[in-house]
Amino acid sequence: MKRDTKHTPQQVLSPLEKSKLKIKVCGMKYQDNIESVAALQPDYLGFIFYKETPRHFDTKIPEIPEGIKKVGVFVNEDVSTVIEKINEFKLDAVQLHGEEAPYYCSILRSTNLLSKPIEIIKVFSIKDEFNFEVLEAFENVCDYFLFDTKGKLPGGNGYRFDWSVLNDYPSTKPFFLSGGIGIDQIDDIKNFIVSKASKYCYAIDVNSKFETEPGLKNKSILREFINKLHNKKTMNYNVDDKGYYGEFGGAFIPEMLHPNVEELRQNYLKVMAEPDFQKEFDKLLKDYVGRPSPLYYAKRLSKKYNTKIYLKREDLNHTGAHKINNTIGQILMAQRLGKTRIIAETGAGQHGVATATVCALMGMECIVYMGEIDIARQAPNVARMKMLGAKVVPALSGSRTLKDATNEAIRDWINNPVDTHYIIGSAIGPHPYPDMVTRFQAVISEEIKWQLKEQEGRENPDYVVACIGGGSNAAGTYYHYLHEPDVGIIAVEAAGLGIDSGESAATSVLGKAGIIHGCKTLLMQTKDGQITEPYSISAGLDYPGVGPMHAHLSKTGRAEFLSITDSDAMEAGLELSKLEGIIPAIETSHAFAIFKHKTFKPDDVVVMSLSGRGDKDLQNYIDYFKI
Amino acid sequence: MNRIVSKLNEDKKLLSIYFTAGYPEINDTVSIIQDLEKNGVDMIEIGLPFSDPLADGPTIQDSSTAALKNGMTTEVLFKQLEGIRDTVSIPLIIMGYFNPMFQYGVEAFCKKCQELGVDGLIIPDLPVDVYHNEYQAIFEKYGLINVFLITPQTSDARIRYIDSISNGFIYMVSSASTTGAKSGFGDEQTAYFERIGKMNLNNPQVIGFGISNNETFTQATKYAKGAIIGSAFVKHVTKHGVKTIDSFTKSILN
Repeated sequence: MKRDTKHTPQQVLSPLEKSKLKIKVCGMKYQDNIESVAALQPDYLGFIFYKETPRHFDTKIPEIPEGIKKVGVFVNEDVSTVIEKINEFKLDAVQLHGEEAPYYCSILRSTNLLSKPIEIIKVFSIKDEFNFEVLEAFENVCDYFLFDTKGKLPGGNGYRFDWSVLNDYPSTKPFFLSGGIGIDQIDDIKNFIVSKASKYCYAIDVNSKFETEPGLKNKSILREFINKLHNKKTMNYNVDDKGYYGEFGGAFIPEMLHPNVEELRQNYLKVMAEPDFQKEFDKLLKDYVGRPSPLYYAKRLSKKYNTKIYLKREDLNHTGAHKINNTIGQILMAQRLGKTRIIAETGAGQHGVATATVCALMGMECIVYMGEIDIARQAPNVARMKMLGAKVVPALSGSRTLKDATNEAIRDWINNPVDTHYIIGSAIGPHPYPDMVTRFQAVISEEIKWQLKEQEGRENPDYVVACIGGGSNAAGTYYHYLHEPDVGIIAVEAAGLGIDSGESAATSVLGKAGIIHGCKTLLMQTKDGQITEPYSISAGLDYPGVGPMHAHLSKTGRAEFLSITDSDAMEAGLELSKLEGIIPAIETSHAFAIFKHKTFKPDDVVVMSLSGRGDKDLQNYIDYFKI
Repeated sequence: MNRIVSKLNEDKKLLSIYFTAGYPEINDTVSIIQDLEKNGVDMIEIGLPFSDPLADGPTIQDSSTAALKNGMTTEVLFKQLEGIRDTVSIPLIIMGYFNPMFQYGVEAFCKKCQELGVDGLIIPDLPVDVYHNEYQAIFEKYGLINVFLITPQTSDARIRYIDSISNGFIYMVSSASTTGAKSGFGDEQTAYFERIGKMNLNNPQVIGFGISNNETFTQATKYAKGAIIGSAFVKHVTKHGVKTIDSFTKSILN
């Protein structure tokens, strides 16, 4: 039925619907907590200089991002002290919580003792009713009013007043709404902001309802509150209990695979949580793989692009790429599930080598499926796998590349359901594979956090960047930053000869939802649902799908997806070689080409996943540059 | 009554044949269906080809690739099946992977099947729980029977669950394999067939995978309501063309 707009009751739309309702978090006390709350980008942070409260602020304010205003809260303080504090702490606003008179405000407004002008917020406490006449005298001497609940204390009483009192608000001055507001009041606030009473409501002020102890704020509840208030659905970027990332993921598998996949699903988290498993995993990563991999500040590259670039050196792992983090994890998993035979698929051969390596390490039978065409173009890796004792089986079906190697591995698993574990090399496949692979690769971002803290004094960079084929190095690089909104996530796909050339692997642009290799994800396909063959100069990125987590990150806008052509990638690989003395894998080179297309701020910290080294691609580089 | 159900109610062992639509030639679909009916086959699975048939062995992979190269698509198949009910009454099942159906739109696909007189679907990579939660109502709305697979590794509890969701027959995969991988049954298979027989399921079972001749057909139908032949038939038309379907069916049924 067509909706007749003429007769829809007119809601009073507050100005807030047009601009965002501001948020003030008051009663900040501890340095670390201030930093982590500031990362949520509230509009105001409040520091209480009134001594008779447990939230009394008596330390230093750390560096906080520009755009967040620092508010000093005072109760009947000497004007001279207030001025002193404003200058000392570089306050942007003062909030007057006592019986300060209009002339007190006018002194603050007109004094020439301040290094910069400040906002003045005058507080009024409301119980059940309020005589709005008192406001008039303050109209010209302050910038905002703040309405709080009248209680025993001057603020921080922890309960709210009846907001409908504000229906009689006679002024046009914007005000802060305060007093006992918590996450439970979200619906009330939403009702309030479409009511007449909120017409001049400018900000929401929160404090005690978000604390674990006085002065210590709970960041995750605050984040949820802010997201809800701004109508941002609180997103979960991890897999849910049904195996989905939003609409993507799941396990679309033939019944023949069900027992194997179900066995894995039921056990993977349990096994990974076993202290014995963790101990062995950590020890192998340290002693065998060589972790932690360095986080290296790339000085010359940073200078060239006028920003701060760090390289996470996964290329320095044993076997030369991030792939081994996952194969170590999965071989330990396979052992605990009592499997004796390992199968894997490989495109460029990196995952095949990483799998053959751990099979040699554990003395297990290893069969690697590889497209016939890839076998021809990646001869050194085929030789490495053979030296390591693996059997390399050519995939002769379809296009005879990675997609078909994966089909063949799945067919092998169907035919060998009892003794075999399939080590999938990317964050793809039926649930729980994408999550399991991501968790094994998450060691990358886990290390970035403490390494960056050591070098930059903060855990969170401004951006994390990784190249994406199926997306395992990207998943590991993003994992611990997925729910940190101040960290930008950049995913770099292979555009091949160009997005519109018909020879591309840019799944986020060219793909749509479909089913490949057991999961629902973004997929390059014909209108009829036949999977198409992607193209990229890099054998590791020419996969027609992308892991379901990345499909979700793309769809929700959490990650920015860029696509880079063959030629830009090759140039970037050469540039990194010459500027930093590091020859990257061609997959990785794609990520480095973004600096030609995207400008970062000079003080941005950009962490690049240097997912693999370029030895395997030497022939490609030689041919391309006619070296 | 759905044609599959009526057929299952007949007092005889059923022969079901799978073929790949659009293979060997794009326009062979209708004549293959008509010839199969004429030669005493009881049920037909029309294979909708897919680029990545991961439960299939080389024979059906190759026929699928060839069919796609011939220009077979969902639209083309539906076009070919227009009017099929004017000439045949045999139960028709479309067997294909989920992605082409998903792209066509599951509801649109089911609606079209009903219009054309298709009786059921077999979708190996649509798991029973996803079907149950998301699509069962749509299938039922259009009177379609969905057929699920079980294997020797499927647990009894899961078989019971699948039986409770099924409303036609259960496709019993004879061994852990892709299609066309094995021929003949050993003790392991017969033990499995007997085990399932003793479960007294609500839905009759039809055995598939590994049936290629009279011997395996007879063996399988000793334990089940019927048997499905796929790869062996595709091999036959590859070798002998589509004009000699009678010789194939005779070799099975005699």
